[in-house]
Amino acid sequence: MNNDSPSLLGRLWSSVEFKLILSWLLVVIATMVLDSNHTYWNASADSAQIVLRQTVLLGFFALGSAIIVISGGIDLSSGSVIAMSATVFGSLMIVLDPEGFKAGHVYTTAVILSIAGTLLVGAMVGTLHAWLITSVGLPPFVATLATLVGLRSFSRGLTPTLTGGKSQIDFPDDNLRNALKDVNTITILFIVFALALWFLMSRTVTGRHLQAMGGNEQASKLSGIRTDRLKWLAYVIGAVSASIVGIIFFADQGSAKPDIMARGYELNAIAASVIGGCSLQGGIGTIPGTILGCLFLRTIIDAVQKIVGAGADVFEGMIVGIVVVVAVTFSQRGTGKLIGKRYFSDEIGWSVIPTLGLLSGLAYLLFFGKREWYAPYQAILVGLIVIGALAVRAVLESRTNSSSRV
Amino acid sequence: MTPPIIAIEKISKRFGGTRALHEVSFDVLPGELHAICGENGAGKSTLMKILSGVITDYEGELRIDGQTARFSGTRDAESVGISIIHQELNLVEQLSIAANIFLGRELRWGGVFCDDRAMEVAATELLKSLDCDIPPSRLAGSLRVGDQQLIEIAKALSLNSRILVMDEPTSALTEAEVERLYRVIAKLRSKGTTILYISHKMDEVFHLSDRITVLRDGQFIATRNAKETNAGEITKLMVGRDIESLDLGPRSSRGKKVLEVRNLSLEWPGHARGYRLKDISLELYQGEVLGIAGLMGAGRTELLECLFGASSLPPTGEIILDGVPIMPRHPSQAKRAGLALVTEDRKRLGVFNSMNVGQNISMCSLHEAAAGPLLSSSRERRLSDSMVSKLRIKTAGLTPPIGSLSGGNQQKCIVGRWLLTHPKVLLLDDPTRGVDVGAKAELYRIIRGLCSEGIAVIVTSSELPEILTLSDRIMVLNEGRQSALFTREEATQSKIIQAAT
Repeated sequence: MNNDSPSLLGRLWSSVEFKLILSWLLVVIATMVLDSNHTYWNASADSAQIVLRQTVLLGFFALGSAIIVISGGIDLSSGSVIAMSATVFGSLMIVLDPEGFKAGHVYTTAVILSIAGTLLVGAMVGTLHAWLITSVGLPPFVATLATLVGLRSFSRGLTPTLTGGKSQIDFPDDNLRNALKDVNTITILFIVFALALWFLMSRTVTGRHLQAMGGNEQASKLSGIRTDRLKWLAYVIGAVSASIVGIIFFADQGSAKPDIMARGYELNAIAASVIGGCSLQGGIGTIPGTILGCLFLRTIIDAVQKIVGAGADVFEGMIVGIVVVVAVTFSQRGTGKLIGKRYFSDEIGWSVIPTLGLLSGLAYLLFFGKREWYAPYQAILVGLIVIGALAVRAVLESRTNSSSRV
Repeated sequence: MTPPIIAIEKISKRFGGTRALHEVSFDVLPGELHAICGENGAGKSTLMKILSGVITDYEGELRIDGQTARFSGTRDAESVGISIIHQELNLVEQLSIAANIFLGRELRWGGVFCDDRAMEVAATELLKSLDCDIPPSRLAGSLRVGDQQLIEIAKALSLNSRILVMDEPTSALTEAEVERLYRVIAKLRSKGTTILYISHKMDEVFHLSDRITVLRDGQFIATRNAKETNAGEITKLMVGRDIESLDLGPRSSRGKKVLEVRNLSLEWPGHARGYRLKDISLELYQGEVLGIAGLMGAGRTELLECLFGASSLPPTGEIILDGVPIMPRHPSQAKRAGLALVTEDRKRLGVFNSMNVGQNISMCSLHEAAAGPLLSSSRERRLSDSMVSKLRIKTAGLTPPIGSLSGGNQQKCIVGRWLLTHPKVLLLDDPTRGVDVGAKAELYRIIRGLCSEGIAVIVTSSELPEILTLSDRIMVLNEGRQSALFTREEATQSKIIQAAT
């Protein structure tokens, strides 16, 4: 038996949540310093609001995604479910109150029914996923891959039949739109939603069972747990949370364009939950961790935008990629092991060094290419320095021989 | 005396907290068939994995032909002529026989292209030398286990192995296949191959071997010449104590009938036999232990799974619990009816590795730890604590991860998990597998203690002494059929073995 009862401080220190808060603070402070306009300092309220809106929008369906991941599955469809839900929400309003839709004042009853209908459709998609996985026996990856492509195409087909040939639905009612996209409203809604899910996962029998199923599905079944029903619950939560985002996103964007709306968002959701400490193997992860993962991800994206300036949305994918790699590497092993590990001592290690150098040079070019002090030699130099540093590391690694092989 | 081909010197190996091998030393002579015997968990397989380069970090020294060998992988072991046939075969089922035999060492032409023709010709040759005429282009996955094993042997031959390690090779074979394997072994020996043969089946060991080495709890016990010893002595060395004399106190008296099973059968589509279980009938009384004996594949696990609603196909027949017919189709129904199953494969089907000790214990009784839908952590703690003290689980509280406990204590946690559901019938599938001797005795006492509380127990085991110690009655399964039923007084090892084979 090892000494497995560390102090409260030690446990806090090793928790994903704590590491995320620390990293988040670092990012915020770094941005305050590096951003030439000092936006976080001068306009903290506005900045906070922007980040908050982004975090909340991501948070809704990232939490849904996290619950699926914790219970041992995966949901690739959330981006398409968002687009579909926006389309369905718009379509339902057109069907229920065609006059009001044209005039720009949809009846409240019609709005409420449309929202309920959209959420119901979300639940139906979740049920479809659960059926494909439990009864048909598809792997979750395949089942939700099918709906990822299928539902978007369905929404594109639905839109012109209801709008008389247009490929998008415009939001009809400005008052409604402002109410639905209001940052205070959606934040409160999100807090309620997150609290409910947090309660579910950490305080209820069902939550414990979901976690157990993610950790060991066979053992769960043999413990008398109805794993099929739990899967249904997880996928319904996942799809309904995406539907909520679809409704809000429709208002936020002012129009529903099913061909491009929320494209690729499912991966952001999975990335946020992974950054927040969820294991794609299942069984591990928390709701607060996932929320912090969303906050961290959106903050770092926002920070880069502040530092780089206009056109920085191009970098979003790159940032998500880097953050996921770093976060998962860190959460898989302790920091000590990370430093001692051998990265560049074999053939693959050697051959990746130029790639990393090239990437660093290009990143430098993209980040600072528009600054007045920029010159091409700087990017090349950055690339060469990275290659040199890694080569030194590689040599040092092969010197230490097999002493620290993991 | 001829110098040994393999010299094992003070080899030790630990896995986390458990000691798999402790300073094991013995010699293997060239050309002999050396049997390694020991109970489950004695360290046989670990030792063979070290010998064949599967496990590379250990303490101690291994000498082949007098030269110190330190393998950094199976390739190294193969290059000095050692091959291993694992208990779980390592074939790529989607590839052909020939491709499997030459996997990783494919014959090529032009440096890059697989020379399938040459490999098939070579494979045919190898298989012919083993009296096997399966076309080498067939997929490995389409073969029966016995034939797959021959493929592994052919692979070893193609490596020109001088030393062949066989890890319980007959455990999944039919009688005819065992006969064929014996012929193959004889042939290999005539060519001078040294064979290390791991088994705990006494008849096999005495039929084949020149010398027998016994391991127990990771330690070397003795090496004997097969001609100078007998099954009784080896068994005694393996078990290390007269297990029959283990005093578990007075037996509890039999209460009323709790469980009755009538004509339980389970199909086996696609298999020559057609059924996994056929017409099993049994009765079980309060406070009684019914032991189920049988070889691997006889249907012990399947029987318990059927009773617990965990079989993949629905069984036929009747299961009557407390006078009420039940036929659970999901473990949750069986649990509600008052059944509990401690599974054989603890790692895969028992523990939740991402959870702590307390959570593992309370898993099946969370509804009792909850007020409405909400879990009460104090109630949960009380439940788990009650089992830790009742079963004397050695743990530093409820929060350490379950994986930090020894096998025996993990098993106690799972028994505790099920006791919290207040079962009428407790099904224990090989409950002491991978558990050290001390913990075994404790588990036996726990089981007997439960009987005195009125719980009825069905226990299976791969170890006969265990069945004999624990059971009030013993049912023997043989290829899915019930072949005998003994009372405790009637039962002896030899009677059971006779009924099982």
